[in-house]
Amino acid sequence: MTTEEPTTASLVTGSREQRLAETFVVLADTLVDDYDVVDLLDQLVTACVDLLDVAAAGLLLDDQRGNLAVVASSSEESRLLEIFQLQNNEGPCLDCVRGGAAVLSGDLELDESRWPRFVPVARLAGFRSVAALPLRLRDQTIGGLNLFDSRVDRVTPDERRLAQALADVATIGILQRRFAHRSTMVAEQLQHALNSRVVIEQAKGVLAERNGVTMEVAFIALRRHARNHNFKLTDVAKRVVRGDIGSDAIAVTPQDT
Amino acid sequence: MDDRDRWAALLAEATADTNTQCQRICQLCVDLLEVSGGGISMVTSTGNRGVVCATDDVSAQIEALQFSLGEGPCVDAVTSGVPVLIPDLRQHGDVAVERWPAFMEAASAAGVQAVFALPLRIGAINVGAMDLYRDRAGDLEADHLSAALMAADAAAIALLHLASTADSTFSDDLDTRSAYQLQVHQATGMVQVQLGVRTEDAFLMLRARAFALGRPLLDVAIDVVERRLRFTPEDQ
Repeated sequence: MTTEEPTTASLVTGSREQRLAETFVVLADTLVDDYDVVDLLDQLVTACVDLLDVAAAGLLLDDQRGNLAVVASSSEESRLLEIFQLQNNEGPCLDCVRGGAAVLSGDLELDESRWPRFVPVARLAGFRSVAALPLRLRDQTIGGLNLFDSRVDRVTPDERRLAQALADVATIGILQRRFAHRSTMVAEQLQHALNSRVVIEQAKGVLAERNGVTMEVAFIALRRHARNHNFKLTDVAKRVVRGDIGSDAIAVTPQDT
Repeated sequence: MDDRDRWAALLAEATADTNTQCQRICQLCVDLLEVSGGGISMVTSTGNRGVVCATDDVSAQIEALQFSLGEGPCVDAVTSGVPVLIPDLRQHGDVAVERWPAFMEAASAAGVQAVFALPLRIGAINVGAMDLYRDRAGDLEADHLSAALMAADAAAIALLHLASTADSTFSDDLDTRSAYQLQVHQATGMVQVQLGVRTEDAFLMLRARAFALGRPLLDVAIDVVERRLRFTPEDQ
């Protein structure tokens, strides 16, 4: 990838239609190459926040052990991660994954009886509306895309269709890899995506501790190093964890946010 | 398996005794997941390798074969870190099967028709693989796969204890729900740097600390991530 090519992070100017078109071009380009699945999902949640004008977006996958695991989040803020993780017990994303259909709450205040534990925590974090879109493959739901916003009734029906299109791209991104003809592929690819995320978390911990920075800054540094050198994010992360990349090789700047 | 909690409890019971835990995890899979046999092999970054256990002769043969031939689903599961699920070894259209001609021949001769190899790993930590086999072809059904993945999580931690150079003889609880939250892995990376130890030892030490404090692993991990708790070499 050359530096002139647009990335979702750089698509902050131009009309929404333009940015939308460019986002799909970037994603389509990525899907052709031997891409890193977590990097792709990270681009997707960033695109969601940008294109849909929501406060936060997260992608949760069924870990096939009865839990939903966070694989991408528009922010590393621990309170946001906790809200995503809380949905292992209850919440719109859990309902969405179980039911295989979109779950919308235009006003969380009205849905407190439906999710008595989830709603107070989400509202405390400043969220008022939620949309959860399923990641579907035929009759199977492998996860959910979460969109959170501070405003009531934030997501319009048109935007919901766009969000579902982005969720569908995520599904393709997770499953369209090697051995696509094998029936057991879904389990293998899901586990691949989940474990890649774990490697990245371990690497973030190493970088955050070495450099005295937050997880967010550590992640940005890791991602920048991978993109600048055209390495896969997970490969860079693995080398950081194993100590094959020295602490000075990855530029960590605390002003990154 | 809808009652995952019951399965988790069985796994916890199986891992209570550190001397027999790997064997008992495999036996549970044979008893409840409709597989013919199971085995676990250790392959670590520090060069520990070998067959840890097998429930029967065929399983023992599957494990040993892969070490002697250097190929097979278990070898691929270890190197790729991804499950390798082969519901029918005779299905030659399967590219994965074509990669292991010698293993294929020997395994088929031993009566193996399906192999499900699950990597035993936590992120960048790789400790080995668990092989489950069947003497008939067919997919591992979704509930059984789910249970097998949970068994592999338990086996990974059991093997980490076996392979660890650190003192990790505490009786570990199998808190799999919180064991796989993001903050636990972030904290593992931080502790690894704080103590200058390998990732696998950092993970065990984090668990040991949670156990010693009688607190959930996730809570202790969040304290580390939020920098309310630091590990120092003197503590160990």
